[in-house]
Amino acid sequence: MPIGDGQNPLLKVGALGAGYGGMLMLRDISLEVRRAEIVALVGGNGAGKTTLLRALSRVIASTGSIEFDGRDLVPMTPDEAFGAGLVQVPEGRQLFDRMSVEDNLRMGAYRRGDQAAVSRDLDRMYAIFPRLSDRRQQIAGSMSGGEQQMCAMARGLMAAPKLLMIDEMSLGLAPVVVEQLMDVLAAIRGEGVAILLVEQDVHLALSACDRGYVLEAGQIVREGMAKELADDPAVRRAYLGI
Amino acid sequence: MTAARIALASLAIAVLAAVPWFGSDVLVQFGINALLLAVLAQGWNIIGGYAGYASFGNSVFYGLGSYGVAITMVQWELPFAFGLAFGVLMAVIFAFLLGLPVLRLKGHYFAIATLALAQVMIAIVSNVPLAGQNIGLVLPPLNNDPLFYELALGLLTAVTLTIFWLTRSRFGFGLIAIRENEEGAAVMGVNTTLYKVLAFALSGVFSALAGGIHAYWITFLDPESAFDISLNVKMIIMAVFGGPGTILGPVIGALTLSAVSELLSSEVTSVAGLFFGIVVVAAVVLMPRGLADIVRRFRKSGWRYFAENIKAHRI
Repeated sequence: MPIGDGQNPLLKVGALGAGYGGMLMLRDISLEVRRAEIVALVGGNGAGKTTLLRALSRVIASTGSIEFDGRDLVPMTPDEAFGAGLVQVPEGRQLFDRMSVEDNLRMGAYRRGDQAAVSRDLDRMYAIFPRLSDRRQQIAGSMSGGEQQMCAMARGLMAAPKLLMIDEMSLGLAPVVVEQLMDVLAAIRGEGVAILLVEQDVHLALSACDRGYVLEAGQIVREGMAKELADDPAVRRAYLGI
Repeated sequence: MTAARIALASLAIAVLAAVPWFGSDVLVQFGINALLLAVLAQGWNIIGGYAGYASFGNSVFYGLGSYGVAITMVQWELPFAFGLAFGVLMAVIFAFLLGLPVLRLKGHYFAIATLALAQVMIAIVSNVPLAGQNIGLVLPPLNNDPLFYELALGLLTAVTLTIFWLTRSRFGFGLIAIRENEEGAAVMGVNTTLYKVLAFALSGVFSALAGGIHAYWITFLDPESAFDISLNVKMIIMAVFGGPGTILGPVIGALTLSAVSELLSSEVTSVAGLFFGIVVVAAVVLMPRGLADIVRRFRKSGWRYFAENIKAHRI
């Protein structure tokens, strides 16, 4: 059972529509993320996954309602949404390549005033990601892909988010590294942070999450507990067929 | 900043401020030029060094500042201070109006677009009667070089303190994040458009003030000299030579290069023209991160520092 049942959901999206320049990419999207829950958003290339993330972080405009942590997200700018605790780990990681790992993490906390809390969080990050701890002073761009992904996730967490949205976490990484990252997701949830995991690798995503949504051509076509979805013949057909 | 550093900085400012009392007229005049160039290099440092946007439009700010003073004093017969304020106002309006579209471009495209702005400004101002069209304006003379010198020094101190503040403010961190990875900065909640335009405007404020002081000092300006693109090239070379994205690098770069260039042009006139070209080539090949980086890394790497740079950039 997902943790946090019976409470108000952390993120509640209703009838969301969004697109680029009048071209509607997403239609009638409704989804929920509860506190400390790991939710997968899966779908093939061009299904609209990244567009949905961009709408949630208010980078693009959208119709419908987005309620986050009891607040209306729709009128917010991207930096306000970020301040409200909705933090994205973007596809391709987008690290500050020429800076050290530690500086990257500190950059994640650049909006926070309480330096003591930031230092505490830095130590927590090194506990969650021991590999980063070994590489504090290394230049971020010189690390392996898996380590960079960890660095990007840790940087996101340094902003003290309530919901971490991770776009294409497994992209370009070796399966063994991906498995390590999956363990880390559980650790992050243990800190009370909810995760929205956006993945093309359906199998992987559904194996590690509580619940999942399947996005196809801009609409949610299936939703449910991750295990049920993984066994759903329609999901299997859709993804083995592509 | 430690007490020792504050003391050292104050001493340096005090020595510089005392120059008009013991220096020759030539030295003071050289000082005004060098200090104003240092202000321009520092102004460029904000948008080019910290935000990472190589602007060729800063000479437009300089020109607007010059014309602000000239129009206010000649056409409206108001005091100098009003002229400076008018110039700053025009620079800020320009930064917002043109920064919004132009700052959407990146890298070379941004450089080219801003380069074009400077050229367009010459054409526009040449046709504005209020600005004296292409004949220019002659300001009332004020023969008080020490005053201009102290004004320039005060302005340089102000811009350097601003940059010092930048390095420890949320705004400054946002700019560095934009320079290092703009997309990464955006997902971290930096309002990139706002930050870039503010940096452009801040850079413009100081450049306009430098232009205003220079116009009143020289007492004459025309479109060609006010929006001179080679001035923009100079400030970039000085900032990059000293170390872009550092607090003191551009100041040191501007003062050293001004001094050497001055010496060359009085000693061996024929070589002086080549000088800036040679500096650009040497700086790019041997020390792409400027003097400030050498100071930091030379102790560790020694002379290998230069070889490492050549290797790292495969030139």
